[in-house]
Amino acid sequence: MNNIRNFCIIAHIDHGKSTLADRLLQKTGAISERDMKEQMLDDMDLERERGITIKSHAIRMDYKRPNGENYIFNLIDTPGHVDFAYEVSRALKACEGAILVVDAAQGIEAQTISNLYQAIEQNLEIIPVLNKIDLPGADPENIGQQIVDLIGCDYEDILHVSGKTGEGVDELLEEIVDKVPGPKREEDKPLRALIFDSIFNTYRGSIAYVRVMEGVLRKGDLFKFMSNLEEYYAEEIGYLKMKQEPTKELRAGEVGYVIGSVKSLQDVRVGDTITKVDNPAKEPIPGYQEAKPMVFSGIFPTDADDFEDLRAALEKLQLNDASLTYEPETSKALGFGFRAGFLGLLHMEIVQERLDREFDIDIITTVPNVQYEVELVEGDRIQVDNPSQMPAVGDIEAIYEPYIKASIITPADYIGPVMKLCQDRRGIYVNQLFMQNNRVEITYELPMAEVVFDFYDRLKSGTRGYASLDYEFIEYRKGDLVRLDILLNGDQVDALSSITHRDKAYHLGRKVCAKLKELIPQQQFEVAVQAAIGNRVIARDTVRAMRKDVTAKCYGGDISRKRKLLEKQKEGKKRMKQVGTVEIPQEAFLAVLSMDEDDR
Amino acid sequence: MAGLYIHIPFCKQACSYCDFYFVTQQKYKQEFVDELIREIYSHKDTRFTTDPIQTIYFGGGTPSLLTPAQTGSILEAIYSVFDVQAEEITLEMNPDDVTRDFLSGVKSAGIDRASMGVQSFDTDLLNFMHRAHTSGEALRCLELLQSSDFNVFTVDLIYGNPGQSLEVLEKDIETILQFDPPHISAYSLTVEPQTRLGKQVKLGRIVPPEDDKVARHFDLVVNKLKEAGIMQYEVSNYAKPGKEAIHNSNYWDHVNYLGLGPGAHSFWWEEDLKTAHRWSNKPDLRSYLKQEWEQPFEQETLNMQALAEERLMLGLRTRKGVASEELKSRYQFSFSEEQLQYIDRLSDEGKAIFDQNLRLTTKGLKIADTILLDILTK
Repeated sequence: MNNIRNFCIIAHIDHGKSTLADRLLQKTGAISERDMKEQMLDDMDLERERGITIKSHAIRMDYKRPNGENYIFNLIDTPGHVDFAYEVSRALKACEGAILVVDAAQGIEAQTISNLYQAIEQNLEIIPVLNKIDLPGADPENIGQQIVDLIGCDYEDILHVSGKTGEGVDELLEEIVDKVPGPKREEDKPLRALIFDSIFNTYRGSIAYVRVMEGVLRKGDLFKFMSNLEEYYAEEIGYLKMKQEPTKELRAGEVGYVIGSVKSLQDVRVGDTITKVDNPAKEPIPGYQEAKPMVFSGIFPTDADDFEDLRAALEKLQLNDASLTYEPETSKALGFGFRAGFLGLLHMEIVQERLDREFDIDIITTVPNVQYEVELVEGDRIQVDNPSQMPAVGDIEAIYEPYIKASIITPADYIGPVMKLCQDRRGIYVNQLFMQNNRVEITYELPMAEVVFDFYDRLKSGTRGYASLDYEFIEYRKGDLVRLDILLNGDQVDALSSITHRDKAYHLGRKVCAKLKELIPQQQFEVAVQAAIGNRVIARDTVRAMRKDVTAKCYGGDISRKRKLLEKQKEGKKRMKQVGTVEIPQEAFLAVLSMDEDDR
Repeated sequence: MAGLYIHIPFCKQACSYCDFYFVTQQKYKQEFVDELIREIYSHKDTRFTTDPIQTIYFGGGTPSLLTPAQTGSILEAIYSVFDVQAEEITLEMNPDDVTRDFLSGVKSAGIDRASMGVQSFDTDLLNFMHRAHTSGEALRCLELLQSSDFNVFTVDLIYGNPGQSLEVLEKDIETILQFDPPHISAYSLTVEPQTRLGKQVKLGRIVPPEDDKVARHFDLVVNKLKEAGIMQYEVSNYAKPGKEAIHNSNYWDHVNYLGLGPGAHSFWWEEDLKTAHRWSNKPDLRSYLKQEWEQPFEQETLNMQALAEERLMLGLRTRKGVASEELKSRYQFSFSEEQLQYIDRLSDEGKAIFDQNLRLTTKGLKIADTILLDILTK
């Protein structure tokens, strides 16, 4: 009897995936009431606060049917954000079924649709579930109809569940057994195990979470990663229960972990295939991609003394997050720091916040940008992920920028604001589809550069939080792009250079100059604040020279006050950044870097 | 040699810009005087009474709210406790308190220098500053002063007020000059956060003038007074040669001083002249009357480095500047290579002169705070 069921849950943030997962764990006895920490699957604080599962995990449950049959369930969790589409696709690949969870009050969101389509494409059996059925605002009929339209099932097939009260969970467990096919048990074939996730353990090194697709992996086997052919011994293998449970072998269809003294997480790549050195598989499991950063930003310590701490922190983060890339960067204005690459905007925010929270390092980050392809007059084509490295205007034949296809689902009332936002961001309208429940899916092609900065927040605030966004990279397209430099008395402030569309450059230049004029303290000389494209100055402001700065009264009590103030000012002066002869307080950088699209 | 500062914490009303310690209630005046005398006596036969007292300064608050008899009783106590060899005994007065009798009263009580808080003769400005006196009272008090036995006196002036034109300032200066004062203190209006003015500025109701406008005021004061033979000797102080204030000059010169009364600060060198102490009384009349002056409210010990920086901070505010020889011998301080380069640049830009002394020109003096910070962070 094939008694294994491998499945995942597809759901939007907030639609109750984690609560429902907890309920499954409880009902199957994988976790006791007492040990129950709410939402077990999200074990990072940050995830719990944001209600977002950032890293996927997996857990094995033993399910005993009412008729006495025993089943093994492997629930493979999927990250719920648009930046992690690739990780999602690998997790889906490890499953035969997917539970589609839709909030009975809120309806389907963009993210869910894109993950659902991926699941259908991979031939997963879909179990539709309306969750939060106990809420007063639940509208199972209408929302159910959305599901029917989307996957073509019968309304009667949709389970009504409440993760909170436990209603319908027993039926769901039975449905998993009945509907999700058992995995193929092709144990005679050469080993092929799919890595769908990995974690780093300080003592054990990198641990791969795998689904054995074919063959058998035994403890002690010499295995290799098919992407880089690195070889390791399987020192320990086991099942992913609440704690790791060692075993002797993982057979085709099973899910578990592999430990092999792999020091760097970089070697355990999601989507890669593990095979045995003796009798290897001929082909890896298709679909493997190198993690490719899409968004880049400079990260600098606020206090130059923290540089080494920042390096150590990034190293540690990377151990648990192979998709984070970074390399040292030196900025004339901000000093020593790193240029980091992220999968997307949320990924970037998470990294920044973890640096702050887990490592307590104050950082300045530059405005995020995408990677451009620059065709040089000489004919070469180079990639530029840092505005300050953009070649001189005269050397550039053309600049290409990445475009994405964005699909936005919003209540029909907000079509106007959503379209205006997309239009303002140089979007190209593709189409709109009306859905059940007075909702619309709007599709635009957008330059990714326009989305990485402040787009998601704008979308949310413009639709009172109702809109959801999904996007995928489509291609590089030629754009009328320029590098906008900011100069102080003729010296370029490298950290404030940006690549922008020519039509937006003038407005942006004026805004940044005005902001800097406001924030740069008067110096002993006049400071010209200029915005320039190449040699052409397109905006200018002037910070007048300081004409008077002297305390009026300085007698008895004033003296100690003034000296204390002086001590503070000396500290402040140490933190000033120097561009040429001009001193800029850190706050000025922060203010310009955090200017939102309205300011820009 | 040392100075005595006596803080008299009473005022009729709160001036909008003032953040010195004061109360507007008058009923504890006598209790205060009695307590002050107790504080004076507490120093009897201590190390503070071995230095001869060169100057005594009654500041406030409004010292002219005490009767001449009260002032006299305070001085009497001082004379019996300290070794007074006074060259200057100053009392701050507000125009609205001054009468012929008052002036002769305090003169015979022992005051020999009057400091008159005129600030302006312009009715609008006086209202803006929330001063207790009128323009007429300001004129009258100076007339009285001129015809009194006080031949040493000083007049306070405030410039750089919001909306104040150069013409209004010029008129104020000319009016003061009619009385031929030997000494003038002219302050640019400072916005202190804890004052009514500070709060209004924060709320955006009042916009302080830009620094270039205040710089023009500053230049006008310097030049007008110079024409009258009254020379700037410190950022805010001007005098006919030889009439410079001794008490205040001593602050800038790190001479010992003892402060008495609520909120008063003291400064005293350690005997080995390697460190110095600064401490203060709590700025609170109620606590003062409960004898809390027995314990310092705040205190700090300054090491040579801090003292050297402070001396530079104070010295650069004076026209005389500070001698590198003094910095070396008294503070073991000499300028670094970077500092000397920076000072060279200042000289080239006409902001400083560096011979035996380092001193700032009028141009440099106006931005003395910036320059000091630059020097100390080079």
